[in-house]
Amino acid sequence: MNNLKNPCCYPPPAPDGRAELIHVDCASHVYPNGSVGIHHMCFRVMEREIVALCGRNGSGKSTLIEHVNGLLRPSEGKVVVNGQTIGSDQTSDLWKDVGVVFQNSDDQLFAPTVLDDVMFGPLNLGMQREEAHNAALSALSAVGAECLVSRLPGYLSGGEKRLVSIAGILAMQPKIIALDEPTSDLDPAHSRIVENLIRKLRDVHGISVIVATHDLDLAARLADRVCLVQNGSICAEGSPEEIFYNDEVVQEAGLLHPEVVRIYRAYCERTGGYGRKHPLTVEQLIDALIV
Amino acid sequence: MSSGTFAHIPDLPLMTHYAENTRSVFSGVSPWSKIVSLILIVVLVTVLRSLTLLLLLYGAIVAACVLARLPLKKILLWYTLPVLFVISLVGLLAWGEPGNPVFFWSFIGIPLVLTDAGLLLIGVLLIKALIVVTFSIFFLMTTRYNHIAAVIDRIFPDPLNQIFLLSYRFLFLTIGMTAALLKAVRSRGGGLIRSIRIQGQIFAQVFALTFIRSLDRADRVHAAMAARGYHGTYATAHEIPAPSYAGMIFLAAAAAGTILIVLATGISSPGGFL
Repeated sequence: MNNLKNPCCYPPPAPDGRAELIHVDCASHVYPNGSVGIHHMCFRVMEREIVALCGRNGSGKSTLIEHVNGLLRPSEGKVVVNGQTIGSDQTSDLWKDVGVVFQNSDDQLFAPTVLDDVMFGPLNLGMQREEAHNAALSALSAVGAECLVSRLPGYLSGGEKRLVSIAGILAMQPKIIALDEPTSDLDPAHSRIVENLIRKLRDVHGISVIVATHDLDLAARLADRVCLVQNGSICAEGSPEEIFYNDEVVQEAGLLHPEVVRIYRAYCERTGGYGRKHPLTVEQLIDALIV
Repeated sequence: MSSGTFAHIPDLPLMTHYAENTRSVFSGVSPWSKIVSLILIVVLVTVLRSLTLLLLLYGAIVAACVLARLPLKKILLWYTLPVLFVISLVGLLAWGEPGNPVFFWSFIGIPLVLTDAGLLLIGVLLIKALIVVTFSIFFLMTTRYNHIAAVIDRIFPDPLNQIFLLSYRFLFLTIGMTAALLKAVRSRGGGLIRSIRIQGQIFAQVFALTFIRSLDRADRVHAAMAARGYHGTYATAHEIPAPSYAGMIFLAAAAAGTILIVLATGISSPGGFL
């Protein structure tokens, strides 16, 4: 447990050649109504990394995401994104480096057509119309939604809206994309499409991804690193295996273990003792059970 | 929104559905041509006094709606509000018009006379209102949303174009939210009319909730826009198709005809044909 505790001051980045893109240093945020959004939050994201922020509703995941995009500024502490430091009294252009895909796609898709919406960000970046148009088409193609280019956002399905929302951010070519509950309200097929797309963002586009989710199965399958968020702070972080096979930290965050972990544990209890393997995906579970 | 109690309220999502999915001879007509036509129609409606000519104009617009395969029964239901509006205004004025009495009524000792001229006034003003309403519906149901948005963006200056563009999208969200709230009321045995009778607060509650949720949604939409660098301006991406040669010839002829009618109206006597 102790070695999974979130350090408030991170050590320098590991010498594996990857740069640190986001560093949230002991940041706190109090909303105007007095409620605490985040509290002594320490968080970092490395280059080409998928980080899962897992926590219950209202734990502070979305507030943290809005800080790294610059929508919110910390009341205390600082947020450093790609070398740009933001404190409580500074305005920011963090949105150029960190794109946010909101939980409710209807909040994000406001323009008359899909093309208008996807071009919105690039135009704000100062691209010429032709350049923005090409960036939009390219982003739509990357998410497999090029056929939706002239459609009206209001008439898209939930899955299509989510893909277009991601394209709207991808078109801005950010270094980091934060997705707030990316698979909530989606059917399994669209969830899988979005999940694969997140991997593609890291592997093909070289983008770091923050996934805020309470779907621990998704986090287990997807993340390179998992941060458990509770009461506005990160209460534990580590690899998915370290986190999800640790009862104490999962229970402390008020979460349930991923399905695969529960099945594997139940199987081990029935058959006697824990296995040496720690499966996190269905494929790994099958391998572990066959052995 | 379109069913039952609300069938008389113009259904914006249905209009947009027709504009997006119905292909007719008018779908390909440039939005600029339709806007110029609307302006000419407004001018004609303003100057024309002849019921015959107005009926001819109305008939032509209804014929265009038929050709465009628009749902005439629904459009008739949508007439309810404009008709009520016109009658509530003109219905009072018509009683004082000089002419041959058609109907006489005494109200607490005050004689009320409805003349043929009064009835004609009601008919003329009603048909004028229906001409403009029908053509506006025709425009909205045969013009794609991206073209409407682009036209708004081109016509209006900042920040009016921004307000229009966001309002148009937001209208859909608000309608959707109202429909969802009413569905929730109905799903538990309620109904707007029935609930007003049984539980008077429900009407206010539904609309208060709609406004509160709209504000909340507006806040989130703004946050999502700010997250992509919004700083007060955005432009639509779509080009608007220019009028074809045939369209331009038609518009030139229509404009010339309108000017002639306006000039003729200026020199005609008050009781003349025009």
